[in-house]
Formats: sequence, structure tokens, C-alpha cells
Amino acid sequence: MPSVATLPKSGAAGAQTAADAGILVVDGIVKQFDTPEGPLVAVDRVSLSVRPGEFLAVIGPSGCGKSTLFNVIGGLIDRYQGAVTVGGETVRGPHPAIGMVFQEESTFPWRTVIENVAFPLEIAGIARKERLEKAKRFIALVGLNGFENRYPAELSGGMRQRVAIARTLASEPKILLMDEPFASLDEQTRLLLGDKVLQIQQDLQQTTLLITHNITEAVQLADRILVMTYRPGRVKRMVEIDLPRPRSSDVVSSEAFGRYVAEIWSDLREEATRGMQDEESRTLHAGAAS
Amino acid sequence: MAEASRLNLPAAPNTGAKPRTVGRAEPVLVVRAVIIVFILLFWEAIAQSGLLYRDVVPSLLAIGAAIVKLLSAPDYYWHLWVTASEVGAGLIVGGLSGLLIGLALGGNRVLSKAFEPYLYYLGPTPKIIFFPVMIMWFGVGPGSKIAMGAISCFFPIALSTAAGMRQIDKVLIRVGQSFRASAWQMATKIYLPAMRHPIINGVRLGLGVAIIGTLLAETKLSNQGVGFLIIQAYSLFDMPRMYAMLIVLFVLAIGANALVGRLGGLSAIRQL
Repeated sequence: MPSVATLPKSGAAGAQTAADAGILVVDGIVKQFDTPEGPLVAVDRVSLSVRPGEFLAVIGPSGCGKSTLFNVIGGLIDRYQGAVTVGGETVRGPHPAIGMVFQEESTFPWRTVIENVAFPLEIAGIARKERLEKAKRFIALVGLNGFENRYPAELSGGMRQRVAIARTLASEPKILLMDEPFASLDEQTRLLLGDKVLQIQQDLQQTTLLITHNITEAVQLADRILVMTYRPGRVKRMVEIDLPRPRSSDVVSSEAFGRYVAEIWSDLREEATRGMQDEESRTLHAGAAS
Repeated sequence: MAEASRLNLPAAPNTGAKPRTVGRAEPVLVVRAVIIVFILLFWEAIAQSGLLYRDVVPSLLAIGAAIVKLLSAPDYYWHLWVTASEVGAGLIVGGLSGLLIGLALGGNRVLSKAFEPYLYYLGPTPKIIFFPVMIMWFGVGPGSKIAMGAISCFFPIALSTAAGMRQIDKVLIRVGQSFRASAWQMATKIYLPAMRHPIINGVRLGLGVAIIGTLLAETKLSNQGVGFLIIQAYSLFDMPRMYAMLIVLFVLAIGANALVGRLGGLSAIRQL
């Protein structure tokens, strides 16, 4: 059972309210799902605020409602309590200021790389010539020059995910919202792609909200990390990552990096353990019931 | 019946994916050629031996001459045009209604549960049993032939469209929504291209059964079209001419199928 002690304890997280100068403000989100075993609170009173130009990571064990939070902020889920505001404007449905990058393979297999990246511009009704030129710039930004006319099937998984990132960036969102964008990639590719994302984020001063379960990824990329609890997903703690910028994947070998990873793991371990025990007992009950 | 066995339900959309290894293609070609030559020799042997009535199994030379004669008669092309336009009209009517019904079934779980089982059971039944009804509704002219073609191709196209719609990768739909695509943009830029393989496969199956339905109807009751010519040659006992028409038809059907298959094959390269 979630004890009171797992609720936000430090002032750092608690003070993140609408009053903060956040470009993206998430205020007291509660999302409940109806399951066969009764209502399940996926996200419970989560509040956070992302400052302009900041890289914020949300980390938590599986089943902490991370993806639910992602869909709520992206406007793909409705019927929740609380509010999401972008520059003071309440989000109702997908908002033009928020660009989403999904965890799953999400490039359109019937479109070439450049047609994929130009997709949001096509949706917005921008003329063909102009949108292809613009798409080319964003393809260069993710380092895929020369692959403009290839189909996704001809690329590696990491390259396809870069196409997806370029596509979202091409819509020039104020806030880049990513849900485990590297989850399906191997560790080396993940680190290198992390570099790429860092570089782009630093070049564009791109406000970014990354949802992840990977501690090293979060510490490598983020300015601040919000740690969530296992079911129901609550804010456990906010950790400031005081590592020098501009940053690259070299940072993983520094001593400070190790300290941050250890610190976050000590927070997360408790939650992950609880999650694992919960999974085990539910599997056991499911087995006994059948 | 031929119709029942040809109608494969759209379970396996694995059409345009022939392995094209050079090392293996050659023995396959040799085997094919040998089998065809063997069949031709066997045919000629029976024709020459006189074991069967000479007219039932005419010699290859006679059939060849009949093919030449057939293809040089302008009359034949008019009948071919009649059949082709009946098949084409049937494919358009049956295909469009199949597409619409398929989209409705694929997009709505309740409708799908309520009606799809009927389509599955009706799909493989020989549609020729509806021909008397079609004659009464649409007359003895091309109308009833088009109706037969349309009924035949409706089922595979509706079923594969419905299955294709359910197989769409959900994340692609979420991508479209996140970029705030309109309903029309979602339909034309995401749903239809994402479903192109099952739809092309359905059209390919649909074309096959539309040809069968139309020809079968023409052989039953008509005064024009290739089916009529075949049955006419049969009743006049002009066997070389009948075989000539069957062979030409066979080649045309293969060509039409290959054409639609090629459409699907081209885009298969682009598939993940």
C-alpha cells in the first residue's frame, strides 16, 4: 500500500505550481481507468512545471503511469482531473505547441524520409516546395543528409527514430514531448542518439519533456529529473542535475554522474521493488483464479 | 465448383513476395518448361493416337490455327470488349461497395461482430445460384452479368478491407492526431495508405472471382461476350475454336492478375 511517506516530501516538487514561470504547467492531474478488477488510479495528483529551454525528465518504474501522463499532456487522453496549460492556455486535445515523439516505431512506411519529415507541414497546408526545403533542414539536423529519398524499411531502428524526431521538430513545437524514444534501441545506439538529442536541444534551446525508465538516459540528458512512484503514479521527488553544459555522452564517465545515478536509483529502487512484488502477487492471483 | 476453390479468404496477404534468387530461379524455369512441353507432347500423342474422338482432342496444329483465326477476327475483340467492360463495371460496383462496407466493419466492433460472420460464410459459396434472381432484377443483357461480377468481388474486397483496417498500426493514427490532422487528412493520408496492401490483395482476389462470375453468367444466358462465344463454339462442336478461346482467356486472366499483383508488389518494397 502506498504510505504517506511516499508523497512529495521536499518543497522543490511541492512548490511547482501554476505560479511558477513554466511554459508547460501540469497541475494536479488525476487519471483513473476502469479495469475488470475495479477502478485503477494510474496518475495521482501529479504537478510539474517545465521552464522555457529546459530539459525535464520524468522517470519511474513500469506501471507508474508515465505513458498516461504523456498522453494526457499530448492531449490524446481526455476525462481526467486537473489541468495542463501551455503558455497559460489550457490543453484540450492535441496542442500545436506540443510535439510528440512516440515510443513505438512511428514512421510512415509508405513515405520516404523527406515525406515523413514534411508530414506535419503538409497537414498544416504548407506548399510542397517550401515544406520539402524545410524538411531537408530538419533531416540535416538529425544527421540523416543523403537519406531523404529512402524508405523507412531501408533504415536502421535508430535512424527511423531520428526520422520520427525530425518529423516532430519540423512542426516547430514549443515543447518537445518524448515517451521513451530510445526504448527499442540497443545501449550504444541509445547513448549516441542521446548525444544527438542533447546537441539539438542545446542548439535550438528546445524545451523538452522526456518520459523514461532509464536512469542513465535521464541523468545524461536532463536539467531536472522528476521521480515518480509506482502505482498510483505520484511525484516522489524532483532532482536538479547540476552537470555542465554543453553536455555529451562523455558525461557518463564522470564521478558526479555516478552519484546522480546512485541517488536516483536509491529512490527508484523502492518503487521498482514494490512494482515487482505487485506484479508477482497479481500473476499469482491470476494463476489461482484460472 | 471452380468458384469456391478459387476464392481464398484474405488470410494471407503474402502475394508479391516471390524470392528472386538467381541461382534458384533457373532450375524452376527449367522444371516449368519441361512440364509444359510434357503436357503438350502428351496432348499431341492422344490427338494423333485416335484413342479419343478426334474432335474432342484436336491436334495442337488445329488449335494453333484456330487461335490465329480467332485473333484475326475483329468480331472477337468486340465480344472481348463486352466481357471486359462487364467485368470492369462489376469490379467498380462491387469493389466500391465492398470498400465502404469493409471500412464500416473494420471501424466498428459491433457491426463487425454482427455481420462479418455472414460475409465469411457467404463469401465462398458459388454466386451463380443468384443468377436467376439477377436476370429477373437486371434483365438478360449486360446488367445481370455486371451484377454477377459485382456480387462475386464484393466479398473478398469487403473482408480484406475490414481486416486491413483492424491491422493498422495504432501509433500511426496517434501520430496523425498529435499533428492535428483533420478527418479527411486522417482518411487519405493515414488510413488508406496504411491499408493499401490488404486492399490491393482484396482487389486481386476480387478481380479473379469477378471474371469467373461474369463468364459463368455469360455461358448460362447471353448473346454476347466471351462466355457466350465459348458456349456457342461448344454447341456447334467447334472444338479447336473452343480451346483457342479458352487458351486466350487463360492468358488474359493471368495477365490481368499479374497487373494487379504488380501494383501490390511495387509498394511491397516500401513496406516495413
